[in-house]
Amino acid sequence: MIELWHYLVLAAILFGIGVAGIFLNRKNILVLLMSIELMLLAVNFNFIAFSQAVNNLDGQIFVFFILTVAAAESAIGLAILVVLFRNRGTINVGDLNSMKG
Amino acid sequence: MTEMPAFSLAVPEIWLLSMACVVLVVDLFFPGREHAPAFYLSQLTLVGAGWLALDAHWGMDEVTFSGTYIADSLSGLLKASVAGLAFVVFGYARDYLRQFDLLQSEFFLIGLFAVLGMFVMASAHNMLSLYLGLELLSLSLYTLVAYDRDSWRGSEAAMKYFVLGALSSGMMLYGMSMIYGASGSLDLAEIAAAAAAPDQGGVLMAFGLVFVFVGVAFKFGAVPFHMWIPDVYQGASTPSALFVATAPKVAAIALFIRLMEGGLGNLFSHWQDMAIILAVASLVVGNLMALVQTNIKRLLGYSAISHIGFLFVGFAAGSPEGYAAVTFYAITYAITTAAAFGVVMLLSRRGFEAESIDDMRGLMQRHGGFAVVMIIVMFSLTGIPPTVGFYAKWLVLQAAINAGLVWLAVVAVFAAVVGAFYYLRILKAVCFDSPDEQTPALQATASMRVLLAVNGAVVLAAGIFPDTLVAACRAAFGLA
Amino acid sequence: MIQLTIFYIFAAVLLVAATVVITSRNPVYSALFLVLCFFTSSALWLLAEAEFLGIALVLVYVGAVMVLFLFVVMMLDINLAPMREGFARYLPVGLGVGAVMVAEMALVVGSSSAEFAEGAIASTVVEGGDSNNVRLLGNVIYTKYVFQFEVAAVVLLVAIIAAIMLTLRRRGGTKHQEVAEQVAVHKADRLRLVRDPRGKHDNQ
Repeated sequence: MIELWHYLVLAAILFGIGVAGIFLNRKNILVLLMSIELMLLAVNFNFIAFSQAVNNLDGQIFVFFILTVAAAESAIGLAILVVLFRNRGTINVGDLNSMKG
Repeated sequence: MTEMPAFSLAVPEIWLLSMACVVLVVDLFFPGREHAPAFYLSQLTLVGAGWLALDAHWGMDEVTFSGTYIADSLSGLLKASVAGLAFVVFGYARDYLRQFDLLQSEFFLIGLFAVLGMFVMASAHNMLSLYLGLELLSLSLYTLVAYDRDSWRGSEAAMKYFVLGALSSGMMLYGMSMIYGASGSLDLAEIAAAAAAPDQGGVLMAFGLVFVFVGVAFKFGAVPFHMWIPDVYQGASTPSALFVATAPKVAAIALFIRLMEGGLGNLFSHWQDMAIILAVASLVVGNLMALVQTNIKRLLGYSAISHIGFLFVGFAAGSPEGYAAVTFYAITYAITTAAAFGVVMLLSRRGFEAESIDDMRGLMQRHGGFAVVMIIVMFSLTGIPPTVGFYAKWLVLQAAINAGLVWLAVVAVFAAVVGAFYYLRILKAVCFDSPDEQTPALQATASMRVLLAVNGAVVLAAGIFPDTLVAACRAAFGLA
Repeated sequence: MIQLTIFYIFAAVLLVAATVVITSRNPVYSALFLVLCFFTSSALWLLAEAEFLGIALVLVYVGAVMVLFLFVVMMLDINLAPMREGFARYLPVGLGVGAVMVAEMALVVGSSSAEFAEGAIASTVVEGGDSNNVRLLGNVIYTKYVFQFEVAAVVLLVAIIAAIMLTLRRRGGTKHQEVAEQVAVHKADRLRLVRDPRGKHDNQ
């Protein structure tokens, strides 16, 4: 039988992979955006698992809204990425260093 | 079955959303180069929204929309302040954008949606509302920072802001999921009840608290989660930076009070230490880094971090008195910062951004009136009486001392003294350095000059007669 | 038992795919493996009785968001050679941070999941035997959470406005249709009757 902790541990590992991806990918913002998607996916797992455990639908509703917002967020993120690429010709994280101090 | 929600309480949001849609459509039919209809309609919207918020919420204490929306004095006060600040920002922005050939109605439109997001946050009585309002605000802010899309630095700042903002949202959501798991509800009142009963999901709740707190600290920009603030202040075009620097600070107060005090107030002993650490780190790092800046916008960014440290001193006090002081601090700080950015925008002209401290040289001899405004603003940011900044710091310190955090108050005072150095460095440039020969005349319009003068006068007047606003802030937290 | 086996298989696929997403050299591979992540997640959500969300995840993410990602990858024409530089340098930090977070969370989860009396996941089916997940969600979204529903709509509107504002460029010399002109055209604008100079009955 699948228990709550199965989902929670899976979500925790997925969240960890997402965070590690943000630290690892210093060269490519696109993969960074995908890592953020992984983190949100992990959060969704948590909400769905808890929603079953506490036996109400609020968690699933929250996931519904996270999906909506994350879609909007990636649209805006990619738009900013396109603007950045037009200005710079690169999406390398290491090149984002024009402001210091 | 759920009963019909009380729509009359949500009338500020309804008005704001309807009018934003009107602005969207009106600008299609009357575009023009000046975008005058869109601008004046936006300003009308903000005035109306602020008035409606005070009218509908002040003195109330009601929950509607199935317990997800709260109308109380605090929401009324915060909404009115946010609308007022956005009004000032739009007033400054129009002139500047016109001079830099950036004037599009989208600035005002996205700004209105950001204000709507802050309204939703101010009235949130449910984690879902809080999250959605926060995202509506954040997405609008990312867009505003990238607004000048040909700007090399603007797009970089927007990208950094976006990535860090999305990361912090992810953290906060993870925490929210844990809190939901521990309490079985998204409703802040029920979460508060669950947090009061220590036997239920204690570890899970505390774990979620840490993640949520990190997310909130990111949104504030408290050290060590401050990396985005200096870049956004410096990289974004000045009107966008001005927007980010003012109203969202007040909205962040709403986020903190609703979530940390309203929902997790019973776990105060858990998060007090974190608040103290953030306060000390922000005060120290913000002030020290600001000392070495030569770019005024970046300097204001680090100065913002140090002021956020002051806000967390008030939070660490954890009393209604502290929260009232923090609310007063945030509102008056935002007004003061608006004037500081206003001076930068006043001195800028087509193709030239007056963002270096050197560009302020001899302002006293060139334009004495605006030099006086700058002096008042810098005094207020430092905390010198009789400006409002002094009074705000005084209230926060008083709350901290009453809560027994004397050493924290001492640290804050020391930090403020260090901060005085860089503010005075700007004042030295304004008052005593001689101006460059070839500085041309100001291009700012009369409306902008009037707005700036009024803004400066308000900073001074609010310091001399602070009683009304202080009373309002205290009343919002149920203090006489 | 069979559910648990399925869970483990899908969970393993999900974690492997997620690892490939963050380590792949080529962003196209990353995007495609992210699609795999979403598919397996969707299956896992079905196991957890979140049927509507499982389907929505495939429709929204695989159908729209990932296509957007791939579109941007193609559009940007990124130089792949220097992508991996610094990967080895940040590997210890990244893995360290990830591992610490996973360990902490596993600890918390392990210690607190015992607090849930049921242990095994309960069913979200409410009274009346109505187990239609879509109907249950719809009942709540359009009543209890109607305010949030409207706010989510505004978030999408902002995304539309923002994306268009940031990326739309009007260049001179582009060819496009003027539908209004096409509709409003008259016969006289397009058709000119010419009398054949060679006379009426030439063909015959």
